Amino acid sequence: MGKIVFKAQKQDRRRKKLVVVLCAGLIFCFLGGLLPSVSGQANKAQARNSSKSLEPAQQKEKVLPKGHQKEYRSSTDSSGDHPPIKAILKENRFLEEELSLARNPKYYFVIDIKDRKIELRARGMILKSWTASQIRYSGRPVPLKVTTLSQKSALNPPERRMIKPGEGDTASRPEPVPSGDDKKGNRDKKQDKTAAQEPASSSENFELQALEITDMPGNYELIFDNGLEIAVRSENEKGQKLRRLKENISWYIFQPVKNLLSKNKNLNPKMILYFEDMRQAQGIYWAFIDNIQGIVWLP
Amino acid sequence: MKKKGWKILLTVCSVIYVATLAVVVIALINNQKMIGEWRTIYNFEPDPKSKISPEAQNAALKKKIKSYQPKGVYIMIDSAENKYYLKEGDRILKEGLVSTGSGEILVDPSGKRTWVFDTPKGEFFVKSKIQNPYWVKPDWAFIEEGEPIPRRMEDRVEGGVLGDYALGFGNGYFLHGTLYTRLLGRNVTHGCVRFGDEDLEAVFKASKIGTKIYIY
Repeated sequence: MGKIVFKAQKQDRRRKKLVVVLCAGLIFCFLGGLLPSVSGQANKAQARNSSKSLEPAQQKEKVLPKGHQKEYRSSTDSSGDHPPIKAILKENRFLEEELSLARNPKYYFVIDIKDRKIELRARGMILKSWTASQIRYSGRPVPLKVTTLSQKSALNPPERRMIKPGEGDTASRPEPVPSGDDKKGNRDKKQDKTAAQEPASSSENFELQALEITDMPGNYELIFDNGLEIAVRSENEKGQKLRRLKENISWYIFQPVKNLLSKNKNLNPKMILYFEDMRQAQGIYWAFIDNIQGIVWLP
Repeated sequence: MKKKGWKILLTVCSVIYVATLAVVVIALINNQKMIGEWRTIYNFEPDPKSKISPEAQNAALKKKIKSYQPKGVYIMIDSAENKYYLKEGDRILKEGLVSTGSGEILVDPSGKRTWVFDTPKGEFFVKSKIQNPYWVKPDWAFIEEGEPIPRRMEDRVEGGVLGDYALGFGNGYFLHGTLYTRLLGRNVTHGCVRFGDEDLEAVFKASKIGTKIYIY
C-alpha cells in the first residue's frame, strides 16, 4: 500500500515537473518575442534621454552623458574586438567615405547604429539629427561604403494635389496684388498688410491642400542599392502595439528559423528603426529624397 | 488503456514541443552569431608600410572634411519644419519661421508644361541681392488664376508684394518677404522661401553674394 502511494506521488511530481518545464518553455518563447535582446539592437533606455529630433540650436550643446561616454570608452578598451587603434582605422575608413560625399553639394545621411542616430549632413556639417528609440539589425553586415536610396515604399504614400487652372488656392497664391499707386490703392494695400500680419492663433487651423510633414507616413520602408532594407516605425501610431507584437514574434522566432533553414547564406541586411515620436519618422521620409546617398555604419 | 493513450499523446506533444524549442534556440544562437559579424567583419588591420599613423590620418581626414564647410555666415532652411537658421560656424545668429513650397502640381491646359511647386533642396548660394524688389509674374501665375498670359512685360510686373528685400539663389527662386505673415511656418509657396520682415532684414544684411544656403 505504502509502495503504491509512493509511486503515485512520484508520478505526480513528474507530471508537475513536466508542466513546469512546458510552462517555462512557453514563457521563454514569449519573452524572447516580447523583450529586446542584448545584441542586434540598441538600448532603449539610453535613447529616452535624447528621443526628440535635435534642432541645430540644440545640436551643439548636446553632449553625451558622462556615463554613456564612459561606457563607450570601456567597451572599446576592455573588449578584445575593438581596441582603440582598430576603432580609429574603422573611423578613418568611414571618414574616407564621408569625404567623397562632402565634396558634393548634395546633402547626405549618416546612420550610426551604435548611437541610434540618423543624421542629415552637408559638407560634413550636421543639418538635422533624429534619434531612434531602438534599432534592430540582422542579415549580412552592411559594407562601410556609400549607399544610394533606390526606393521608398509606404502603404499610404503622400499624394500631391493638382491645381486646377482658375481655381488657385488663395492661401498659396504668391502674394496679393497691390491695387496701384493711387492713395486709395495704397490704403487698401496697407489694410491688406495689417490683416495679413495678424499673428495666427494656435486654435486657427488652416486647411491647406499643400504637402506638409504631417502628410508623410509614419511607417514605411527604405530600400537601398546594396540590398539594405530599412523599416521605419513610429510607436505612437494607431494599432502599433499589435503590429509591434507581430513584428517581435517574426523578428525573434520566424526570421531566425527562416535564416537557419535558408540555403542562401548571403541574407540581405535588414534594419528596423523605431521612433517614439511619429514626427521624427515623418521627418526622415521628408528628408530622404530619391537617390539620396549616405553611409550606414556601426562604430 | 485510456490513461496510456493520454500518456503517449503527451509524450509525442512534449517531444515535438522540445524539438521546436531546440530549433528556435539554435536559430537564435545562429542569428546572434550573424549579428555579431556586424561588429567584427569590417575591422581593419593597421598597414605596417604606412608612413602616417592612424591618428594623424584621422586628424587629416577630419580637417579635409572641415575645409568644405562654409566660412562666415550661412543660411539653413528646414523645409519640413518651415524654419530658417542664420549661422556662423556652429553658432546660431538668428532663427525664425519661413514658408516653403506647397508641393502642388499645376498643368498648363495645353498639357505641354507642368510645374511642381517644391522648394529645391541642396546647397545653393546667394546670386543676387535686391532692395524693394518687383515681382515679374511668370506664366504659371496667370495659368493658376485662369487669366490669359500677357505679351507685354509691363503687365507682368508687380511691386510691393515681395517685401523690402529679395535674395536670389538661381532658377528664379528667391528668399523674399511676404504680406501673409500668418502663413509663416506652413508650406504655401510656389518654391520661393518667404520670410517675416524682421528676419528678412537680418538675413539680407548678414549675407553677401556667395553666401551659402542649405535647404533640406
